[in-house]
Amino acid sequence: MGSLKIENVKKAFGPVEVLKGIDLEVTDGEFVVFVGPSGCGKSTLLRVIAGLEDSTSGRVLIDGEDVSVTPPAKRGIAMVFQTYALYPHLTVKNNMGLGLKQAGTPAAEIDRRIGIASSMLSLEPYLERRPAELSGGQRQRVAIGRAVVREPKLFLFDEPLSNLDAALRVNTRLEIAQLHRRLKATMIYVTHDQVEAMTLADKIVVLNAGKIEQIGGPMELYNSPANEFVAGFIGSPKMNFIDGARLGETAKTIGVRPEHLTVDPKSGAWKGTVVHAEHLGADTNLYLDCEKAGLITVRIFGVYDAEPGATLYATPDPAKTYRFGADGKVLK
Amino acid sequence: MAADIRPKRPFRWHIAIFLAPAVLVYTAIMILPLAGTLQLSLFRNIDQHQVFVGLGNFRTLFGDPNWSVNFWNALRNNVWFFIIHMLVQNPIGVLLAALLSSPKLRFSAFYRTAIFVPTILSFVIVGFAWKLILSPLWGVAPHLLDFVGLKSLFTPWLGKEQYALTALSLVSVWQFIGIPMMLIYAALLSIPDEVIEAAECDGITGMSQFWKIKLPLILPSIGIISILTFVGNFNAFDLIYTAQGALAGPNYSTDILGTFLYRAFFGFQLQVGDPNMGATIATIMFLIILGGVCVYLFLIQTRLRRYQF
Ligand SMILES: Nc1ncnc2c1ncn2[C@@H]1O[C@H](COP(=O)(O)OP(=O)(O)O)[C@@H](O)[C@H]1O
Ligand SMILES: [Mg+2]
Repeated sequence: MGSLKIENVKKAFGPVEVLKGIDLEVTDGEFVVFVGPSGCGKSTLLRVIAGLEDSTSGRVLIDGEDVSVTPPAKRGIAMVFQTYALYPHLTVKNNMGLGLKQAGTPAAEIDRRIGIASSMLSLEPYLERRPAELSGGQRQRVAIGRAVVREPKLFLFDEPLSNLDAALRVNTRLEIAQLHRRLKATMIYVTHDQVEAMTLADKIVVLNAGKIEQIGGPMELYNSPANEFVAGFIGSPKMNFIDGARLGETAKTIGVRPEHLTVDPKSGAWKGTVVHAEHLGADTNLYLDCEKAGLITVRIFGVYDAEPGATLYATPDPAKTYRFGADGKVLK
Repeated sequence: MAADIRPKRPFRWHIAIFLAPAVLVYTAIMILPLAGTLQLSLFRNIDQHQVFVGLGNFRTLFGDPNWSVNFWNALRNNVWFFIIHMLVQNPIGVLLAALLSSPKLRFSAFYRTAIFVPTILSFVIVGFAWKLILSPLWGVAPHLLDFVGLKSLFTPWLGKEQYALTALSLVSVWQFIGIPMMLIYAALLSIPDEVIEAAECDGITGMSQFWKIKLPLILPSIGIISILTFVGNFNAFDLIYTAQGALAGPNYSTDILGTFLYRAFFGFQLQVGDPNMGATIATIMFLIILGGVCVYLFLIQTRLRRYQF
């Protein structure tokens, strides 16, 4: 109930190829996040899965069944949009029930499902309101509720949190995670925010320019990125990339995460000057201009006092240093 | 206390000065003629003198058979003229807009333009062209019907009392269908794609998508169109005049308030013009339209919600 297989899906808008051959398998109950920079084709891939966009070639299988020419409503999917896309003329209750009513579901069953979904999403006080009378977070919960009542095989989320403010984003993220645990349904979630991807996903699919760069669990992507793009995309602050030649290395590029560098005022591998310091309380980000390595970021846990202009030595953890070849792939 | 010692704000003369041009122009071309018409309708010309008769002219209009028969006939015809527009023009306009907004339709810009062109044509051209088309002598309509073997259906529609008004109403529908089409088309385009896509995912497609999602969202525009149609129809004159003349023949069967007013005011053939009675009819027309607009504003528009997306 709820597996997905994508075989060599390509999509072109006119001469522009947006998806360049995507292969992917999602097993039942998995929470998969598509992550990548804006314009890389995440939404397009999701819309191909939903059936809102026809692929140029390739197959989409849901539960082993080829749905490439099936209309969206018959695919057993439900989609949540970034802009909520609620029906503005209907109450919350009718927004959730309209699709079921259209499908001829008995009224008692519709009420039962709306009851469950609205208690799950704490929407009970608002059932008789129209979308215009709700806040952004409530609207997005209604949109999620509208997906839940359909009891789909596959939930599709397209950047559902992007229109919410930071605090609400964290709350709603938590709700989506709980929803997944409760429903045990298969969910596919699109975001450009790697923090959302890391916190929600069982499996992350990193997309770049219409191609899959790597598929793996959050820790797998963090600990063993396949290439320079994934290494730079996952993790915040971003991994430092240093020209291999400057360090006298054979690899084209050397990568080391800010948290895998230590600093010392007396001695170390790379001598540098503090350019700027960000004090976040729990950790401190230092920007160092090093003679050998260039401008690098160092993340220190806890409070660290460093004034701009001070001299510090940074030392990378050799076990956690990545080496990339000229093609960007990681060297073993 | 603070409020008491606040200095009084000086009168802001510039507001009055900036408003003055608009107020003066509007007064000169709208308020004064309207007041003049209302005043004229309360007087009667007796022995070359304007004599105040109160509502006497209205009593004549409604009570004197010389006037009332024609008045009620014109009003009835006008109502029918309006009904045809509401039943034919607006539903077809909505339908055309729905078709045009379908992303799968090719050449939609061409259709849109073609359907809208008659709206910018002069009444004189439209009235004359349709007179020619429908003429039993040199019109193309009989030939075209003959082509498809339906010549027996042809009748000189504009010449028969029972058909003439309906035929002219349909000509007017043909001419103005572009306006509801464009307004509804714009309203349909303003519905976000995501809402339609959400409906697609929900299984609400095709006709039920139109009835359940799109129509409720364009109702405010349909309301606007209805009131525009109402005002336009009860002010109509030109098409009837160019196609049938001021006598609105055959036998006054196409007479509407506009043509009735024209004959009363200016006179026609044997009828002598009577500005006072003309003003009386104009006042009644004004009150009918005012009433219709008030019903719309206070009863209908307040119930139509506009939605933000
Ligand atoms: N309907 C369309 N017509 C033409 N180009 C499109 C269309 N939809 C998306 N694109 C292009 O496809 C690329 C990927 O878009 P999208 O999948 O929306 O990216 P994102 O990863 O930000 O969601 C973009 O460059 C966009 O301009
Ligand atoms: Mg997108």
